[in-house]
Amino acid sequence: MEVLNPRVRLAWGVGAVVTAVVVGVLAAVVSRFTLGPGVTVGLAVALGALALGLAFVVLRYRSWRFEVREDDLYLERGVLTRINTVVPFVRVQHVDTQRGPVERALGLSSVVVYTAGSRGADVSIPGLTPERADDLQEQLRRLAIESERETDAV
Amino acid sequence: MKLHPLSIPYRAASRGLSLGLMLFFLGQSLSGSDVLPFPLAGPVLVVLAALGVVGAAAWQVAYYRRFEYRLTGDGLEIASGVVSRRNREIPLGRIQNVDISRNVIQRALGVAVIDIETAGGGATEASLRYVGYDEAKRVQRQIQRLKRGEEAAEDETEPGERASPEERETVLFELQTDELALLSVLSFDFRYLSLLAFGPAALPFVPGVAELAFVGGLVLVALLVAALWALSAATTFARYYGFRLTRLGDELRYERGLLQRYDGSIPLGKVQALTLDANVLMRRFDYTTLAVETAGYGPGQTPSGGSEAAVPLATRERVLRLAREVEEFEVPEFSRPPKRARTRYAARYALVLAGLAGVLYALEVAVTPPAPIPVPLAAIPLAFLVVVPVAAHLKWRNRGYAVGEDHTLTRNGFWSQTTKVVPYYRVQTVIQSQTVFQRRRQLASVVIDTASSAGGAAAAVDVDAETAAELRETVGEKLQASLAARRGETDRESDLDSSRRD
Repeated sequence: MEVLNPRVRLAWGVGAVVTAVVVGVLAAVVSRFTLGPGVTVGLAVALGALALGLAFVVLRYRSWRFEVREDDLYLERGVLTRINTVVPFVRVQHVDTQRGPVERALGLSSVVVYTAGSRGADVSIPGLTPERADDLQEQLRRLAIESERETDAV
Repeated sequence: MKLHPLSIPYRAASRGLSLGLMLFFLGQSLSGSDVLPFPLAGPVLVVLAALGVVGAAAWQVAYYRRFEYRLTGDGLEIASGVVSRRNREIPLGRIQNVDISRNVIQRALGVAVIDIETAGGGATEASLRYVGYDEAKRVQRQIQRLKRGEEAAEDETEPGERASPEERETVLFELQTDELALLSVLSFDFRYLSLLAFGPAALPFVPGVAELAFVGGLVLVALLVAALWALSAATTFARYYGFRLTRLGDELRYERGLLQRYDGSIPLGKVQALTLDANVLMRRFDYTTLAVETAGYGPGQTPSGGSEAAVPLATRERVLRLAREVEEFEVPEFSRPPKRARTRYAARYALVLAGLAGVLYALEVAVTPPAPIPVPLAAIPLAFLVVVPVAAHLKWRNRGYAVGEDHTLTRNGFWSQTTKVVPYYRVQTVIQSQTVFQRRRQLASVVIDTASSAGGAAAAVDVDAETAAELRETVGEKLQASLAARRGETDRESDLDSSRRD
């Protein structure tokens, strides 16, 4: 099983910080108009949210792993709800690589695999180095074409 | 080919009416104000509305003149657009369903709508509004014939004369009037009951005569339930009136509808899953419904009722026989979730009731009622604790899954029990999930996803965690095995074809 690049924790951490700030500001505004002391409550809430978010990031990183198996892509993830997904190569419609601004700054990339399924139609693997992402995209693309032949995808 | 000439006046009338009305009301609301330099009096308004109608008619003529469609050996080509032109080709192999529908007016005029569905996107791929009914049937037939790779023989002769054996329609199912009546009565959708939430607002409240108001309220609720039931029955009746399912070569055809007549095709090669549905009442009389799911309709959007087009209601035995015509599946022994799942449901229901009791208690403490209430409000949900074990047992009893030779079956739901039959070669992804609460009891759920766009995916809920992991792997392996088997078949076929050609 392959694990994600440890730097992905930083990318997720940025998200946790942003969420904590937003929650903190909201709490500050609400408490300012109801109870009175705004900044202290906001700060406390923000710190609490940040601690929770960071703990979540660590657990999320630990739970994430994936494997390119013989016929399918297998993923394990989830903190509260554990999710294991099997994506057969035959069902892969197309494969994308994606890089958001934070990911770009950290030198990371994600691979998104699309299927025709009605649920979980797109499966994404975050926290890959750009080289690994390109390799994986190429590998999945090749495997998808090899396994396709004349079968009907839909 | 062009659209039916009658589509000009029909479209002009329907579009022109709405445009004219809009202009009329716009004029009405502006007439009092000084926004416009000239006074908007009666005749001006009429002229405006008439201009709208004429404009709409002119647009429709242009639309008709610029709309062209053609069926070729590769697919359906449509060129359309008055201002910006659009040329589209829909490959034959990608066409999933071809639906024809006609409402009362269209039936009187002899025109119909053709909707062509493909698997991609959320909306109908192409819609021909409006063509003659005969032409619609011809397009539907021709698409199927072309798909089979036959020569694009133009339909000069009557279809009956030159019909090849596989082209003769065999009637699979016809809904008898008594069955339709039964279906209308039985297929009460329990979701209608949620409309009763609006009931209290409509209740006439008689101050002082509390008892009378209570009795009156009960009567009113009963009346509402009866009315909703009648409404649901009438809807179902109109929807499935004259239902007929036939098989034509490798396609299923259905016809149904009283006010709006539908006429659709379901290619057997595109079937994703079968769904058997039966609510409590239907199960009591051993009846069930069958839906054939394809990828043709976008989620939550069903132009013609979507895959409801299978068998609306028949005895279980007959439905199973029919379902096996579509997919040859066995009904293996269902395995139920382990008993600890049942304890979980009981705990869940008890917790919900306790929460409700808590909320009611808090309300009672916070708001002092004007008159003393005989029973503490919080006691009402607690009284329901008695039925919790029964409810948990029923939920548990109706859950299950079965792994067959070529299909997986899953079953869920008590009020409306849904059995899904998924052929392995249609599986898209397999998702095993385990929530925090499931982990405590070593349970997990497995969702077997297909490209079907109707309803939810097949799910084996609350099975033993280890069994779930096994099921996940088994389904994946069976998919590969069935794909290999199908590949072998097509290889053999193509070998035969090439040897024939030599």
